[in-house]
Amino acid sequence: MTALLSAEGVVKSFGPTRVLAGIALSIAPGEPVGLFGPNGSGKTTLVNILSGLLLPDAGAVRFEGREITRLPLDARYRMGIARTFQIPHPYPALSVREAVGVALAAGAGNRTGEGGDREEGEGPEEDLLARTGLFNQRFVPCARLSQGCLRRLEFARALACRPKLLILDEIFSALSAADEGDLTALLRAENRDGGTAFLLVSHNPPLLKSLCRRILVLEEGRIVRERAVL
Amino acid sequence: MRGSFPFRAAKVSLRGGTPPARSPWRGGGWPAAGIGLLLLFPLSSPDAFLLDVFTTGFLLAAFAASWDVVGGVSGQITLGHALPFGVAAYACALLTTLAGWPLPLAVAAAVLLAAAAGLGIGALSAPLAGPFVALLTLALGEIAHEAAVGHTFFSGPGGYAWGGEGGIPVALPWRDAAPFPSYYAALAFLCLASFGMLRFSRSGAGLILRAVEGSPITALASGVPVARFKRMAFAVGSAFAGAAGAGFVVHVGRATATDLSLELSFQAATFAAVGGRGTIVGPVVAALVLHVLFRALSLPPSARVLLYALTLLVVLRFFPGGVAGTARDLASRRAGKEGGRPPRPGGRNRNGDEAP
Repeated sequence: MTALLSAEGVVKSFGPTRVLAGIALSIAPGEPVGLFGPNGSGKTTLVNILSGLLLPDAGAVRFEGREITRLPLDARYRMGIARTFQIPHPYPALSVREAVGVALAAGAGNRTGEGGDREEGEGPEEDLLARTGLFNQRFVPCARLSQGCLRRLEFARALACRPKLLILDEIFSALSAADEGDLTALLRAENRDGGTAFLLVSHNPPLLKSLCRRILVLEEGRIVRERAVL
Repeated sequence: MRGSFPFRAAKVSLRGGTPPARSPWRGGGWPAAGIGLLLLFPLSSPDAFLLDVFTTGFLLAAFAASWDVVGGVSGQITLGHALPFGVAAYACALLTTLAGWPLPLAVAAAVLLAAAAGLGIGALSAPLAGPFVALLTLALGEIAHEAAVGHTFFSGPGGYAWGGEGGIPVALPWRDAAPFPSYYAALAFLCLASFGMLRFSRSGAGLILRAVEGSPITALASGVPVARFKRMAFAVGSAFAGAAGAGFVVHVGRATATDLSLELSFQAATFAAVGGRGTIVGPVVAALVLHVLFRALSLPPSARVLLYALTLLVVLRFFPGGVAGTARDLASRRAGKEGGRPPRPGGRNRNGDEAP
């Protein structure tokens, strides 16, 4: 089977510091994969390269067999690779509904045949906001959201393009138990029902074991272990 | 078509994201009252000087609003916005006087040239951010200004030499423009241009530009081709600036290097900051009030520049959102919004909570 996303020989240095030293990984369609590693091991750099925010110094990234190494972040999103940020950067002047609307506009070509039980005047924004638990906050400016709601908004934004692959950078860190429970259930549902693959970066091994089929361990810029979760 | 940005879809799917607070600028009452007063003003038999002050005020107000499309809505702080204004003014003058084009055709070409200039500025500044955009646009504007000051155009062998400090006259189909038709034409232009810019800023494209202004990285991660939208903002804002420049040069009858000056760019930025960046209507009102007030006081240009600078300092220090932004904040606080629009009574609450 063709890998959904693959990386070969990815190298990245910042000045004299080599952050990634030849990363090779592969994610199958619909596969939930975890990425674990200590601080400074290069997790966020790897995520930035896989999502198109950074260019590697060497190596290649492929998505559905197509080389996308130099494809920027926005084009990868429209292809179906969505990422979230460890620290959300919300649009301060936009409401929650508008923020999701911006992402929906970019991925509108991928959402034919959606409907559900919408009320009059409601659009795909409301569906997405209801699924992520933000429906009642839809007119609140993003600048006024709590940390938990910002993470939910990140999730809603990522789901707006109907992604084939979600890259989630520490999305569960510093969340309340309720928020973590909701987002965990949502991620499971996306993976199970929507067939969405994900690469989940986390410092929390029990969480990774509960959500992922395979866990990659990154240390000093190399994948040193790969564990299958039974 | 996963790879291309479905721009048309944005216009449909982004409607209805209106925040619950009612801004005084959102209703049509205040603008309608203001337009009504301006329509009636000439009936009070003002002198020609005052009518001229208002006429140039209308054109400057449209210019300030066009700055707001670029600097306010999309957050690309430009200090060279006089460039498209001056390009259109010079194009109008050169095409009518040297090439002998009819005025309407010259105006249309001037607006297109201004939009093209904006597209070029946008292409150069798209990879930049923050103060670097301001520096680049400042440099481009100054290059254009110096070129206009130093260049001389000849009407032919043994003919007139135009350009430099004296500028270039516009060949108009009328000898002396009457003050009343000029006043009403400029007012009509301001209303139409402001309406067009408001529609643009509240469209799907305008919403995406506000997203780009708020957080370019999140916009990119949401699939927005940020560079393309920045170019679009510059092109649209410059087209309206060009239309204002063409109107201005038709009103005063001559394109001069002042039409490309840093002072004009700075004035537009000041009007937008005072009125409220990103609101379109705020800069229009601020431009009208400040221009008419400072001109009516018959202050010398140096004193006017000083007053503009002082006004800008006071506004940035005490009202960073400008007049419109401050009014909107006050209205929001008065409305006492506590977490957005409440669920409808008896309606379903889709977060799973009980509606009151």
